[in-house]
Amino acid sequence: MNLPDYNFLPAPLWVITVLHLVTLMLHFAAMNFLVGGVIVILFGKFKNRWNDPTAQKFIKLFPIAMMATITLGIAPLLFLQLVYPRQAYAAAIVSGWFWLLIVVVAIIVYYFLYAASFSQDSSRRWIALYLSVALVGFVYISYVYSSTFSLAERPDLVKLIYTHTQSGFTLNPDVGSYILRWLHMILGAITVGGFFVGLLGMNNPQAYNVGKQFFLNGMIVTMLVGLGYLFTLDEILLSFMRSPAVWFLMVSIAMSLGALRFFFTRRFAVSGIMLLVSLLGMVTIRHYVRLLHLEGVYDPAAYAIKPQWSVFALFLNCFVIAIVAVWYMLRLNHHSIDAAHDRLES
Amino acid sequence: MEITLNYPFWDVGIGYGVLMAIFAVTHVFVSHFAIGGGLYLVVAETAARRKNDTERLNFLQQLSKFFVLVTVVFGALTGVSIWFVIGLLNPAGTEVLIHNFVWGWAIEWTFFIIELCAAILYFYGWQKISARNHLTIGWIYFIAAWLSLFIINGIVTFMLTPGKWIETGNFWDSFFNPTFWSSLVLRTGICLMLAGLYALLVASRYKASDFKRRLVRYNAVWGIVGLVITMLSFLWYVGAIPDTIMTAAIDKMPTPILSIRAMYVYSGGIATFLILFGLILPRAYHTVIGIGVMILGLAWFGSFEWFRESVRKPYVIYGYMYANGIDIAHADLYQRDGYLPHMAFRTGDDGADLFRRSCRSCHTMSGYHPLRPIFDGTDKEFIAGMIKGVHVAKGNMPQFLGTEGEVRILAAYLYNKVDHRHLSKIYSLSGAALGRKVYDIRCGPCHIFGGFNDKSASLIGLNDQEYNDMLNIADDLGEEMPAFTGDEVERKALIEYLTSLSKGGTP
Repeated sequence: MNLPDYNFLPAPLWVITVLHLVTLMLHFAAMNFLVGGVIVILFGKFKNRWNDPTAQKFIKLFPIAMMATITLGIAPLLFLQLVYPRQAYAAAIVSGWFWLLIVVVAIIVYYFLYAASFSQDSSRRWIALYLSVALVGFVYISYVYSSTFSLAERPDLVKLIYTHTQSGFTLNPDVGSYILRWLHMILGAITVGGFFVGLLGMNNPQAYNVGKQFFLNGMIVTMLVGLGYLFTLDEILLSFMRSPAVWFLMVSIAMSLGALRFFFTRRFAVSGIMLLVSLLGMVTIRHYVRLLHLEGVYDPAAYAIKPQWSVFALFLNCFVIAIVAVWYMLRLNHHSIDAAHDRLES
Repeated sequence: MEITLNYPFWDVGIGYGVLMAIFAVTHVFVSHFAIGGGLYLVVAETAARRKNDTERLNFLQQLSKFFVLVTVVFGALTGVSIWFVIGLLNPAGTEVLIHNFVWGWAIEWTFFIIELCAAILYFYGWQKISARNHLTIGWIYFIAAWLSLFIINGIVTFMLTPGKWIETGNFWDSFFNPTFWSSLVLRTGICLMLAGLYALLVASRYKASDFKRRLVRYNAVWGIVGLVITMLSFLWYVGAIPDTIMTAAIDKMPTPILSIRAMYVYSGGIATFLILFGLILPRAYHTVIGIGVMILGLAWFGSFEWFRESVRKPYVIYGYMYANGIDIAHADLYQRDGYLPHMAFRTGDDGADLFRRSCRSCHTMSGYHPLRPIFDGTDKEFIAGMIKGVHVAKGNMPQFLGTEGEVRILAAYLYNKVDHRHLSKIYSLSGAALGRKVYDIRCGPCHIFGGFNDKSASLIGLNDQEYNDMLNIADDLGEEMPAFTGDEVERKALIEYLTSLSKGGTP
């Protein structure tokens, strides 16, 4: 029957890959602020933790960071599903219940973050509980993500699981292949969380020092765990070392160390940009690892390209409009707040 | 062999329809409020600021907190949950949508970014931002939210009425499909109605006062205006659905009509409450009433979605892919080779694999849309005949495109799952009563007296010999007619029942 074929990409693969990686980087940046921030605020050595102005600032910002994490997570998931639907959905299906529960857990976490954010002086003692519940939620969500997406890179394992059970109650049983990947992500979040605590607390010596400790120590441990993860790559390790990924790895490490250096000299803008570039490097490495795992099984370049340029152009326009609109609204917000301050002072 | 059935099957105990409804209906009930509520907030704020109505402004501030907590958190995440759940329940259908509409979704995402930023700034800005700027942000919110509806409406309506896309494969043909505009107006009406209902719920918590009277009346007007737009545009929407689709749906299933009736009942309920307690007795608008009206609103939305889904049967994308994920484009392939060689994921139990691929999306054995009561007490031959002719049976089901061998495998699998006792034992029936049960099971799936594919004219009034002759050649009477494979007891009981009909018995 002569019906339209859906096995195509509506733009060249490189366009979709770039969009996927950039949006994933932004998602990770927001997620690191959120998860890392919660961990640092909960476990950092603050005196009068809940009265510390930086901690308070973070607690107020957590719901917004959650919103940003979710919003910025939609786009990379969209592009991932476009290029790797068969791997991603198959892995999600064999872990169906765990996968679906992510949403329920995320809703609970979100409300707990709001509860912490709305806490008044009298109810501050509850904040630790709210944030702890949120943290448990983050651990669940991140672990299921790691399990599912590492499983998506192992179609043979998905098939094996499916022959044994079809009820969707299985996480990736090859824990050794992704536990360090998951840990690397969590530790990376703590590291970046330390950066953000230092950034928002730049005028608060206590907060800056807490941030610095988490940034420095987190980075050391993250790098060690990342190195450990490389050794779990087993049969693709050699291919990895011979692929462009290894150069991205070098650049990312250099950028991370540079970020640390400039953080210590309080040049936060440079440090932040280097950290962002380092994150981009890391997501690019993830991309290469996926391609190497799927080599010989699946090649996204085999897709026919049937560009929908008119819609793509509309998307780019809307994207620019969104940036302008957000910038404009933030400007309105700041102008109004400045004007209110001026009125108060006069 | 080319792999075309690319996904495993999530064999969850709950019916797919129920699971989808839980996520989808909850989400749309909040997401439409997210749009209508945005308009409500800015329009009401403009009026309140003009009149310097501080009571109203306080209410709006309270409403906006409720609005953010409901829409930004619950609405946004249940929206994501739809992605999660459709990928699990119908990955093939989702794959089609994502390849065709990825830029549409990407555009929606840009509006979503604006929408969420605006919602947060609006909520936190009541005390901080100037009135003018606050309203500007409110308007930006509403425009972005409505534009996201504009986009998603094109994708949702495409699934029911893909229009010229089936021939051209062009994005714009799929987006601006036959039901696009009517659905857009309909959903805009729903947004307004829900804005009124949610605002009424918040207002219901106020103590009886002059302010509450004004507030409840104002909110009720939103609800009523929205309801009127919704119901009028629903008529437009139904009219815009191609006749072939509507006729096929109504002929084979009572569901579209039942769901429309339910919508009218719930609309009447909402209108009654809004007029009585919203306009006439606004001070008495208690929280219990507010919750009651919300439940009616949710039930209304559930009925509408039920209607949409039932009319679309047996497809997930009309004329392109069946609800069980079988794509029509590969029909020839499946008819030649069967499903099994084209499945990427097999368990080693071919019967179970065929059952999951062909039936399980809409049926379980004993729970949701159960098959056991349909096949209990029957035999493999009958089940095989039903599988082959399933597309002409009531219920508007997809055709089984597999081979004869696969029909046998699936029939054997189903037969092993059902009750093998005689029908008379299972239901403790005999005589004409048993005959009626035999008719319901063996003939009823395709022929209902006074209903779907009614054959009473040729069935009533024959003698025993003629009935026997007819049963002997049943499989020659139509291409999809199965042979009568019941035993002598069933045959006699069936003839007794049919004979009783000509003597004034009730079908």
